[in-house]
Amino acid sequence: MITKIAWRNVWRSKTRSAVVILAVAIGVWALSFVLSFSNGITYTYISNAIRDQLSHLQLHHPQFPEDKNSKFFLENTTEKLAQIQQMPEVEAVTARVIATGMVSSARTARGVQIVGVNPETEMKVTHFEKNIVEGEYFQADRKNQVLISQRVADKLKVKLRSRIVLTFQNLDGEITAAAFRVAGLFNTGNMLTDDVQVFVQAEDLKRNLLSLSAQPDSTAADLLQSQDISQEIAIFLKDAKTVSEVKSKLKSAFPETLVEDYWELSPDIELYETQINTSNTIVIVIFMLALIFGIINTMLMAVLERYKELGMLMAIGMNKGRIFSMIVLETMFLGSVAAPLGLGLGFLTVFLLQDVGIDLSAFARGLERFGISTTIFPVLDAGLYLRIAIAVFITTLLASLYPAKKAVKLQPVEALHKI
Amino acid sequence: MSVIEAKNLTKVYNPDTVPVNALQGVDLTIEKGEFTAIVGPSGSGKTTLLNIIGGLDRPSDGVIRVDGEEIANLTDNQLIDFRQKKIGFVFQSYNLIPVLTVAENTEFVMLLQKRPKAERDKRVAELLESVGLSEKKNVRPSQLSGGQQQRVAVARALAPKPAFILADEPTANLDSASASNLLDIMEKLNREEGITFVFSTHDSRVIDRAKRVVTLVDGKIGTDVVQH
Repeated sequence: MITKIAWRNVWRSKTRSAVVILAVAIGVWALSFVLSFSNGITYTYISNAIRDQLSHLQLHHPQFPEDKNSKFFLENTTEKLAQIQQMPEVEAVTARVIATGMVSSARTARGVQIVGVNPETEMKVTHFEKNIVEGEYFQADRKNQVLISQRVADKLKVKLRSRIVLTFQNLDGEITAAAFRVAGLFNTGNMLTDDVQVFVQAEDLKRNLLSLSAQPDSTAADLLQSQDISQEIAIFLKDAKTVSEVKSKLKSAFPETLVEDYWELSPDIELYETQINTSNTIVIVIFMLALIFGIINTMLMAVLERYKELGMLMAIGMNKGRIFSMIVLETMFLGSVAAPLGLGLGFLTVFLLQDVGIDLSAFARGLERFGISTTIFPVLDAGLYLRIAIAVFITTLLASLYPAKKAVKLQPVEALHKI
Repeated sequence: MSVIEAKNLTKVYNPDTVPVNALQGVDLTIEKGEFTAIVGPSGSGKTTLLNIIGGLDRPSDGVIRVDGEEIANLTDNQLIDFRQKKIGFVFQSYNLIPVLTVAENTEFVMLLQKRPKAERDKRVAELLESVGLSEKKNVRPSQLSGGQQQRVAVARALAPKPAFILADEPTANLDSASASNLLDIMEKLNREEGITFVFSTHDSRVIDRAKRVVTLVDGKIGTDVVQH
């Protein structure tokens, strides 16, 4: 009966209830949208980083990540690739030859990481070819092609088909240089990548390293000759959830190799996600505070307006506990009507925008500097909706306490005087 | 056993600032089956006495027993329970619960007492029959006339079978026909079922029908007359 009265009381003052429900619903809608948007930024950032750069897992020589020196390479690459490709969780795998060096044009030079890729398998792992904005991706029949970013091209003052020189250290520590022709210009949307990486074909890099090797009889040179080494193996999985599982399989399959997942490869992802979570929590708390005062105001009005009626209920035998519960329930009902409405609106908005995305390029070019695309795709996340629903529940519960306390402090005799 | 027994009731408002002696040693006994009106001009202490009898206020001194139980020292929640079981209230402005139907209003106190549904349904049907509102059981109070609402209030007050009905100016807002109809019903309940009614009133229509009229003057009982 208390529940029935509380529910009907909500609809006694339809306009007032509608206003507060609408206010809460709009708040919930805005909150769910803002959080989906910020989730979208995080998700875009992480998935871009995985798709374009990190992959889910990478294999290195244990000392490579620290020194980035080409001499810390992985052996038997072909065999490793075949073994990895056979794993059911793996979508694509590719090997890279990496050297740290310098790219120079006739005008200027800058330090870069030279990444030698297998054009075919690289496409499957990073889809790098989609980043080409001018020129072409690697042509199989041409040698010594290089892909550089538009930014690097601008800085080097070179154009498509210009010749540039890559200088790097070979495996024996000798400085060596080779001329490459700019086959394409790329733009990954991530300035950090664009500024520091140039891409060549793995075979070219290896051949150049080999031809310039000072010690033909050294072990390193032999291995290069066999063309079965790489500095990095990148693995893209069918499902990101299987990362840990595949990681431990790889660890036991290649015990001498360093196996890292994208969290370990890029600790800034974790930092970024933590910061987004913190800011989300702050937004939720601010929202709750605004909501609490709005609801308290409405419910207090409802209680004061019904002073006489509440006094009568106490007079005829409704105890304080029941009065308290009734006011709490009324408030909770307001929240429980408003929250699904707001969440539904939020869901609809995000659902409509999740494929189209929100183009922020007019406002936030700087985002690219941090590896975030200027088009944000809001992300629907059940966990997020649950968090908002819980936040609304807690907020309405807290907001109901003061009006409910006010109601039970009432003395029925005062109500009788007013009759 | 008396339904209401008040001995030397005193009530002083603002004892520490400007004391107002609302009741000054009132002795009053009301027996089961009475149909009594407490009358008196404004400021006579009528409302104060009614509040104390109804367990809505506490005396400054004296003893108040309702249905044999001393109620002055009960806690707020005990008093609420006590009122729920022993006293049926009828207020001047009906004070029905606007969001409940006639039947639900009538049933309300029994629900608070967690009486079984079958018993509640039977009692509601009986009561609405006796106040002539069986056909209106599913409508909300706002769809009823003042007289009809007050009859629902009487049915609600009677539902838990209280020791007595305390009616505060029950006819004040009613036209003559409605007031007369309401008093007819109350008289019938009093006569046929022995229900005790205590009125606080100015209304001559009530005073004329009361079997006993207690007049308060300046916080004391002036006259106490049994009418026939």
